[in-house]
Amino acid sequence: MGTVIVVLILALVVGAIVRSMVKAHKRGEHPACGGDCGHCGGSCGCH
Amino acid sequence: MGIRIALAGNPNCGKTTLFNALTGSNQFVGNWPGVTVEYKEGKYKGDKEVKIVDLPGIYSLSPYTLEEVVSRNYLIDEKPEAIINVIDGTNLERNLYLTTQIVELGIPVVIAINMMDVVEKNGDKINTKKLSEEIGVPVIEISALKNRGLKEIVDAAVKVAKEAKPQSPKHRFNGSVEHAFAHIEELCLHGIEDENVQRWYSIKLFERDEKIQEKLGLSSDVIDHIEKDIASCEKELDDDAESIITGERYNYIGTIINDCVKKAAKGLTISDKIDKVVTNRWLALPIFAVVMWLVYYISVTTVGTWATDWANDGVFGDGWHLFAIGSSDYADAADEFTANQLIVDGYDLYVEENGSEPTGDFEYPVEDEETAAVDYETASLDDYAAAKAYVESNEEPDPANYGVWIPGVPVFVEAGLDAIGCNDVVKGLILDGIVAGVGAVLGFVPQMLVLFIFLAFLEACGYMARVAFIMDRIFRKFGLSGKSFIPMLIGTGCGVPGIMASRTIENDRDRKMTIMTTTFIPCGAKLPFIAMVAGAIFGGASWVAPSAYFLGIFAIITSGIMLKKTKMFAGDPAPFVMELPAYHWPTLGNVLRSMWERGWSFIKKAGTIILLSTIVVWFCTFFGVVDGAFTMLEEDQIDHSILAGLGRCLAWIFIPLGFGDWEATVASITGLVAKENIVGTLAIIYGAAGDVYETMRAAFTDASGFAFLAFNLLCAPCFAAMGAIKREMNNTKWFWRAIGYQCGFAWVIGLIVYQVGKVFTGEGFTVGTIFGIAAICVLLYGLFRKDKYNK
Repeated sequence: MGTVIVVLILALVVGAIVRSMVKAHKRGEHPACGGDCGHCGGSCGCH
Repeated sequence: MGIRIALAGNPNCGKTTLFNALTGSNQFVGNWPGVTVEYKEGKYKGDKEVKIVDLPGIYSLSPYTLEEVVSRNYLIDEKPEAIINVIDGTNLERNLYLTTQIVELGIPVVIAINMMDVVEKNGDKINTKKLSEEIGVPVIEISALKNRGLKEIVDAAVKVAKEAKPQSPKHRFNGSVEHAFAHIEELCLHGIEDENVQRWYSIKLFERDEKIQEKLGLSSDVIDHIEKDIASCEKELDDDAESIITGERYNYIGTIINDCVKKAAKGLTISDKIDKVVTNRWLALPIFAVVMWLVYYISVTTVGTWATDWANDGVFGDGWHLFAIGSSDYADAADEFTANQLIVDGYDLYVEENGSEPTGDFEYPVEDEETAAVDYETASLDDYAAAKAYVESNEEPDPANYGVWIPGVPVFVEAGLDAIGCNDVVKGLILDGIVAGVGAVLGFVPQMLVLFIFLAFLEACGYMARVAFIMDRIFRKFGLSGKSFIPMLIGTGCGVPGIMASRTIENDRDRKMTIMTTTFIPCGAKLPFIAMVAGAIFGGASWVAPSAYFLGIFAIITSGIMLKKTKMFAGDPAPFVMELPAYHWPTLGNVLRSMWERGWSFIKKAGTIILLSTIVVWFCTFFGVVDGAFTMLEEDQIDHSILAGLGRCLAWIFIPLGFGDWEATVASITGLVAKENIVGTLAIIYGAAGDVYETMRAAFTDASGFAFLAFNLLCAPCFAAMGAIKREMNNTKWFWRAIGYQCGFAWVIGLIVYQVGKVFTGEGFTVGTIFGIAAICVLLYGLFRKDKYNK
């Protein structure tokens, strides 16, 4: 039972991460640069 | 209907600081040109109906640079309801040059004289009332940094926007020039819908601005006709049209300055005095080297290491003592126990090796924890008897018995998983995969924050602007433009905005070359990897981290010189104009905010892409085929893993570089997803074999370790930066050229480091060394060969 709960939580976390990354990708951001474009000098150009 | 207010002004006059203060956003502020290469919009905090637009910094409305084109296109085509012309009060004369052009655009303008706090501190006086009368627009004193006059400037801008009556410029040119304007207006501008902008168009046509000719769709007959008017004016005034306009503008500005500004009589300012030393022809570079060495030394070797040791060994290790209470008592007890245990183990080892007990003093091995070097110490039989008695009568000290012991994340998670009876596979995934991988990356956060504080301070106080100036002098000697250094400075945080900043370089060949070389400088994401190599392979040597930074600069300069001598990149370097801001103490808030923005981006990445990568890496590390069956592997079986198989397919590439094993190969590949992944991957793979640092130390020699570092610093950057390269190159062939060059250059440097380095580290001269020397010769040929394409 413990294993099932942990796997479910893990699946939820991974799902949430993938979802946030897909959303970021649709906004034109790339997850590997942190997606924090506030300090990016060229943010308007790429996003 | 909302009101759009554009912020326009020279580079580095404080537009972005004002924008942040007005909108509450966190746009990156830097004191070098190119920080804002596109306009940004935000809503005014005090009234959401008011939209503030931050335009790139420009010196004029002539279309010479990308920023100028972006700014003037916005002002002409988008027609904001008002313009706030931000002026650096400490440099009024130069800033007013743009003002004289902005007031001709036919858009309501208010002038914000920024940095008034500095003006007052300098003892200078600006008569804003008189200034307002002479230019014909409202003038407000502000200090964006100190939040002074912000409401007043927006109120004034909203007022003129609502009135919607553009002020007519007070400045009039020489009679014959005005006569030419009148001819031009009559000839081709009377049909323009917005009459207010006619004067600006006529001036631009007088200056032979081709972009405006094109925009107005003028026929060649009309252009020829205008040309006659211009030529006649030029003949009369004995100068070219553009110089006539510039000269007259500066004459006008000169009278304004005489009437409105009183400078305090004084000699050199403190900034000037500092610059005399810091930008000195001979001292500038050594000072820069010392500063960067200090920054990396403190960040990675001293303060950063203490913090990271706590994070790695405490938070993501066994645990730590709250407020360090009990730590030293525990360390003393543990040392005493270990010292006795070593003697007992040494005695047993002697018996095992010799088949008999020692009859007198015997030697026993002691391993240095930092360097893994094994030393031998001597113990007598009495020592052994005392040690044996100690070990038998004392248990190994438990840290929980000293002070308040807080278990580390892995201990805590393991206890939780055990308590709910979690399956071993899932437990392994969480502990050996996610916690080990993400923990290894997050463990470096303290070091990164310390580094980011220093970089933010150096940027904000004005030193980095001096570095750009210093580097321009050096770059220019090698035919490169100092403009190439700005993307590099920005790239120390993240390669993506660094690559984007190359847009400010007008010369296409210089721009492409800058894009290809910017990511050579270590970005923040590479820091954990640098720190890991420094700590694991070089025992925390202080020279490793700064050397990574200077290796990046070396790679950029070397590449620049070699590429400039090729047909593809030949040509004169673009001129680089930047002003040096006065040194000032940055506010604590700004430095901390800059540090946190960069640090948070790193933490967020660890919780997303790094976490997913660790799951994949763990699966590929702990699953594989043994005896023909796909199964989960024991820790001593990971040589049969999927990852090992993939790594071995490519490991041959790195054999000449000294790290041709599957572990290092795989780490280099996962680093392409995000550079922090190198650390996460090594933590999972080497963690399976025991202590990560010890295993890593055993896997590399000094030469192969530095080659591993050099290759991964210089090779193709992460996917995000590669995406930026592809976008900025806008050409698939050029993109692959850039990636190919980076990987090829990194490989050659790695080859030289390993093959030549091993001669100096005592590994001897081999056939490979000859190839290493040959690679040096090729590099030297590229550097010093005759330049056929540049004069």
